[in-house]
Amino acid sequence: MKHALHISWIAVKELIFEKVFYILFSFVGLALLLGMLLGQLTFGEQAKLTLDFMLGAAHLSMVLFSIFMGISLFQRELMMGSVSMLLSKPISRTSFILGKYLGQIMVQAGVILAMTAVIVLSCLRFEDVYYLAIFQALALMFFEICIITAITYFFSVNAGSITAAVASFGFFVLGHYIHSSKNGITDTFVAKETLVALVPNLEVFNLKTFASYGVTISTYELFLSLAYALICMTIFLVAASLTFERKDILT
Amino acid sequence: MSPNSCINLTEVTKVFKLGLFRSKTAVDRLTLEIATGEVVGLLGPNGSGKSTTIKMILGFLKPSEGEILVCGQSAETRIARQFIGYLPENPRFQKFLTGNEILTYYGKLLGLRGIALAKKMDLLFDLVNLNHSRNERVQGYSKGMTQRLAIAQSLLNDPRLLIFDEPMSGLDPLGRIEMRNLIGTIHQENPSSTLFFSSHVLEDVETLCKSVALLQNGKLKTFESVSSLIANESQRYEIVVESPSRDLEMGILAKFPQKCVPLGKSFSVDGIDQLSTILSRLSNAQAKIVSINAQRRKLEEALFRANEGLKTSEAST
Repeated sequence: MKHALHISWIAVKELIFEKVFYILFSFVGLALLLGMLLGQLTFGEQAKLTLDFMLGAAHLSMVLFSIFMGISLFQRELMMGSVSMLLSKPISRTSFILGKYLGQIMVQAGVILAMTAVIVLSCLRFEDVYYLAIFQALALMFFEICIITAITYFFSVNAGSITAAVASFGFFVLGHYIHSSKNGITDTFVAKETLVALVPNLEVFNLKTFASYGVTISTYELFLSLAYALICMTIFLVAASLTFERKDILT
Repeated sequence: MSPNSCINLTEVTKVFKLGLFRSKTAVDRLTLEIATGEVVGLLGPNGSGKSTTIKMILGFLKPSEGEILVCGQSAETRIARQFIGYLPENPRFQKFLTGNEILTYYGKLLGLRGIALAKKMDLLFDLVNLNHSRNERVQGYSKGMTQRLAIAQSLLNDPRLLIFDEPMSGLDPLGRIEMRNLIGTIHQENPSSTLFFSSHVLEDVETLCKSVALLQNGKLKTFESVSSLIANESQRYEIVVESPSRDLEMGILAKFPQKCVPLGKSFSVDGIDQLSTILSRLSNAQAKIVSINAQRRKLEEALFRANEGLKTSEAST
C-alpha cells in the first residue's frame, strides 16, 4: 500500500502537468457555462432547467475526463517505457495499478469539488434550490466516475488506447440503459442477461433529476450506493491487476 | 547451479504468439550461468533475443519454458528484484520532476527514507556528476544527463546485479567515453556486484567486459572470456614498405590489399609464418621496410569469425 501511495502522489502531479488535463478542464468549464446559459432560455422553471443542464454537462464531462485521463495516465507510462524502471523495483504490478488509480481519483475528486462550487454559486440566485439534493447527486456522480475509471483501467491493461476508450464509453452507455431497457438493445434473453451480469448498473447513481426537483435520498440508500460502487470498483480493479500481473511487458 | 552464480538461466525459451496460428521463438533453450562479480557483455544482431533475455531476467516477460534464477531467487518474484539495478535502453522520466524528486521517488519505492536516502542521493549525484543540476526539471536534461540520472536510480539499492540495456546508445563520442568511465568506476567501487549489459558497440564491451555471450536467432552461440576470444585469433602484422617498385607491387605485394601511407605503402599479413615468408621475399627483392607493427585483433573480428564458424558447422551438419 505504501508503494501505491508513492505512485499515486506522482500520478496526481503527472495529471496536473498534463496538457489534456487543462483541455478537459476547459471543456468542463464550457459545459457548465453552456448548461447555465441554456437554463436562461426558458420562461419558467429556470432553476430546475439550469440545474438539470449543469448536472448533465458535469456528468458527461467527468465521464470523458475519467476515460481519457485514465488511458493517458496508464498507456503513456507503458508506451514511454518509464514503467520498466518502476517495475524493476521490488513493487507489485497491483501497486502500480492501484497507485495510478488512486492518483486519478484524487484529481477527479478535486475537479468534482470545483464543479460543485461552480454549480452552487450559479444556483445562489434561485430561491427554490435544495442544496442537499445537489450534493447527493454530485456525490453519486463521483461514485459512478470511480467505477468508470476502474473500467477504463481494466480495458487499458487489455487493449490499446482507442479500443479501451470505445469499450469504456460503451460500458458507460450500457450501464445506464441495459438494466432499465425492456427490449430494443438486445433481442435475445441470454444476451441481455449476460450484459446485465457484466455491466454495472450505473443508473443507480443517477440523481440528476432528483436534484432538479429537490428530492433527496436517505442515508441508507446513499450507503447502499457507495457499497455497490465499491464492489464494482474492486471487481474491475482486481480484474485489471490480475491481467496486468500476467501481462508481458515489452517496452 | 553453482552457489556463486548471480544469474542462472536453464533451458529458457520464449515464444511470442503472433496471432492464432503464428508464433515466433525469440529465445530458444538458452542456458547461461553468470558468476557473482563478473562483467558480462551480451552481444548479438538486432532480433537475436538480447532484449527478450534481459526482460525475462527482470521478470517483465515470463519464459514459455525453463527457469531463471537471480541470486538464487526466481526472476518472477519481488525478492529477486531487490537485488537488481536496471538501466533501460532509453530511460524516460516524468519530465515535470527534478532529478532530486526522481531519486526520492525511486528511493522511497525501495524503502529508503530520511537521512539514509538523503546521504545515498548525495553520493549518487556526486558519482554521476549531476550535483549541479539535481534541482532542475528532467525536461531540461540532455540525453547524457538523463542516462546518468537513470544510472543513479539503478544504484539506489546497492544492487548485487546491475543490468544495463545498451547504456551507450544515443550518446555522442564524449558521452560514451564518460559513460564507459562511469561504468568502470561503478564496478571498481563495488567489485562484488555483477554487471550484465547489452551493447552494439564492441569497443565498449571489449573495454569493460571480462566475458561475452553472443546470441543469434535466440540461441547462445558462444560464451567465453574476451581475452580467450581474442587470443584464439591469429596475430596480424602491418608492414610498411618505402616506395615499392612497380615490379614489387605487381609481384610479391599483389595479393595483399595495400594502402598508401606517407612513407610508402602498407599491407597486413596474418600469423608469424606468413610474416617470416614475406619478410624473406621482401629482403631478397631488396625492398626497404620502414616498419612492422603487431596489430591486436579486435573483438568484432573474433566474434564475426566465431559466428561464421558456427554457421559453417551448422550447414555441414
